[in-house]
Amino acid sequence: MCQKVYDIVAGVVSILKGLGVTGKNMFRKAVTIEYPFEKPAMTARFRGLVDLHPEQCIACSQCVKICPTAALQLEATTNPETRKKFPGVFTYNEELCCFCGLCQEVCPTAAIYLNQCYEVAYYRHDDLVKIDLLKADKYVHLAPPKVKELRP
Amino acid sequence: MDFQELTINMGPQHPSTHGVLFLQLKLDGEVIVDCQPHIGYLHRSIEKIAESRSLVQFMPFTDRLDYIASMNNNLGFCLAAEKLLGITASPRAQYLRVIVAELNRVASHLLAIGTFAQDLGAYATPLFYALRDREKIIQIFDKICGQRLTYNYLRIGGVAGDLPAGADQLIKDFMAYQRRILPEYHDLLTGNVIFCARSKNIGVLPKETAINYGVTGPNLRASGVAWDLRKDEPYLVYDKFDFNVVTGANGDSWDRYDVRMREIEESLKIIEQALGGLPEGDPVAKVNKVFRLNGEAYMRTENPRGELGFYIVGDGGPLPYRLKVRSPSFANLSVLSAMIKGMNISDAVCVLGSLDIVMGEIDR
Amino acid sequence: MNIPWLALLSLLLKGVAILAFFAVNAMFLIWLERKISAKIQNRLGPMVVGPHGALQLIADTVKLLLKENIVPAEADRLIWWLAPFFVAVPTVAAFLCIPFSQEWIVADLNVGILFICSITSLCVLGVFMAGWGSNNKYSLLGGMRSAAQIVSYEVPLLLSVLVVIMEAGTLSMQGIVHAQELGWFCLKPNVLLAFLIYMISATAEVNRVPFDIPEAESELVSGYHTEYSGMKFSMFFLAEYANLFIISAVAATLFLGGWLGPLRPSVFWFLIKVYGIISFLMWIRWTLPRVRMDQMMSFAWKVLTPLALINVLVTGWLLAGKG
Repeated sequence: MCQKVYDIVAGVVSILKGLGVTGKNMFRKAVTIEYPFEKPAMTARFRGLVDLHPEQCIACSQCVKICPTAALQLEATTNPETRKKFPGVFTYNEELCCFCGLCQEVCPTAAIYLNQCYEVAYYRHDDLVKIDLLKADKYVHLAPPKVKELRP
Repeated sequence: MDFQELTINMGPQHPSTHGVLFLQLKLDGEVIVDCQPHIGYLHRSIEKIAESRSLVQFMPFTDRLDYIASMNNNLGFCLAAEKLLGITASPRAQYLRVIVAELNRVASHLLAIGTFAQDLGAYATPLFYALRDREKIIQIFDKICGQRLTYNYLRIGGVAGDLPAGADQLIKDFMAYQRRILPEYHDLLTGNVIFCARSKNIGVLPKETAINYGVTGPNLRASGVAWDLRKDEPYLVYDKFDFNVVTGANGDSWDRYDVRMREIEESLKIIEQALGGLPEGDPVAKVNKVFRLNGEAYMRTENPRGELGFYIVGDGGPLPYRLKVRSPSFANLSVLSAMIKGMNISDAVCVLGSLDIVMGEIDR
Repeated sequence: MNIPWLALLSLLLKGVAILAFFAVNAMFLIWLERKISAKIQNRLGPMVVGPHGALQLIADTVKLLLKENIVPAEADRLIWWLAPFFVAVPTVAAFLCIPFSQEWIVADLNVGILFICSITSLCVLGVFMAGWGSNNKYSLLGGMRSAAQIVSYEVPLLLSVLVVIMEAGTLSMQGIVHAQELGWFCLKPNVLLAFLIYMISATAEVNRVPFDIPEAESELVSGYHTEYSGMKFSMFFLAEYANLFIISAVAATLFLGGWLGPLRPSVFWFLIKVYGIISFLMWIRWTLPRVRMDQMMSFAWKVLTPLALINVLVTGWLLAGKG
């Protein structure tokens, strides 16, 4: 009998404790943000879409070789005067990309890098699978608008 | 009167099957007579993919095995590859690996606790608290390696990058925060009368059954077997740290929950020691090395879900001849149908939640 | 023939007012639920449509109205179609006897509380019809669970209401409120116990956590309304929240003095009490896990019912002593 009464009291107390926790949290600040209107800032090492500084690229194909999903396609061209190689065609298949960042790590001239874009949706499949890395304005439509620091 | 068994297909689209698990349940009223788990809905033939990728290239795929604990998968594969190639990482890299692996263990256990409470019907609140706290770990990882889920941080012979400035302070802040916030979980769940009534003595997994089925990790330790590879077969620098192997008494669902709760505290202890004794040096490994794989190597590590083993066979070329993953969730799931016969649906959901499986590494 | 046009018109207007209140109240409650859950979970909740998402429900309703009405193959069509009405209509009818204030009551029946208790028990029919008619195994399990649960919790609920009826000496809702002019019933220890029993069984009656077993999401997907979509789903949804209002309104009237209160208009006091109870129930919902079916049944029959019976006996003994 005593044990039963004790159990009931302990049960009620445990429920009140739980209510206390949720009650306390009711007065904490929200940790979420209103996403499409405010966006979190990305970290310095963030791995977004693959991007290229075309002038630094020496078309060595290291990135193409290391890519685990064969998302990059490169055709090297040689400059007849300086006999230097440069990329003639350099396309990127975002659909295959797994954002591992290996291409950025192997690049000897830091030409290929992963940028800060994270909203990587397209309306047309064709836009997604053949992104011309040599074009300067390829990600203009993805440029992130206003940014808000995530609360720590 | 004529009685008939009712067959319900629980999953692959069901709120509480943790992914795309398909349980074919035969019910007598609400009591489960037979349970047949069907797997394979998330099969991506990762083991076959490994045969056409170099070791460095395969690293991002290990992220996709147990996607809740990518760092630990990276670690298991890395150590297996290093064992095959005879490489040892620098001391700083080893300490960094311990730190990220233990942080990810905390994140994974938090999620396990949250989803378990969700399965018991605590509407989303414990899960949201778990996600809130896990988010802090994810932000640390984001700062360290640039991704929030598929980290691809570890490299054969080291790590991808040193700790960025301010990251160690973030980790210290997180540890202080987590120690402050853990009592809230205890108040909300551990002692709660309904939570206890739902999970205590439900789904008792006896020691022998657990061992026979190859159950590992917190599920095995909850059954009272003090088996932890970090202690029994120390890899990296785990033998330098002081921590306890947490065990449970009964092996019921509550014990499996409780073991995870206490393991979070042990992991925090390890992180604290590793962060304090972090040696100087260069942990970063070069990635574009070409390795020739000769012979074979098997390495097992303690994943948050149990014993994760990678078996790599080389035939002299740069690509593995065969790569086999021994995933803990697969063994842990296999014991499910033996456990839930004779229970009703509510308890079956509770047991499934307490086993904490991830379909990504079951189907591979 | 002398037709009382005026009386008919006023009755019609009252009916329209009740329906409008039914809809607006449900919308407000859904918004409140989402906001409270968001606060508890450190989230923001709906923020976009209207100030702090206040108009979110209008957007949701429009969406639900425009949705395709999918009838499952092999469903028992007639039963499947009727089920939402069987759930929603008794709920609206129960509003007739809720005293918002001295004047604001559609019909002050002299068996008011009996009317409310009996008509809200009709809901179980609709729930079971939905479960059976859907021809879905999850729905059927949910419907069966629901029937068992509502029927067994009806007993302690009515026994706890009986205590108040004995104290007040009337079945009329207004009469019960007037009987509390000297002090709320819940200040008496035996009625306080009845209040607790009432709140527990009423939570079970409207299938809320920790007794949301019929629609247990992690087990039965969504229970008896798994197969419903569009407007039919929203009827279940609206009825759920209207039911929540009714049990809280009955609790406020029977135990907390109804619309009695100083200074302010009595409607204000009534709504404060009702929404206070509702907020507390929501707080509980977002804190506790769910109990199991058999645990819940044994709790109803082995704990609540004997306790309520003893309470009735004690109350009778006390009243007899007084009288």
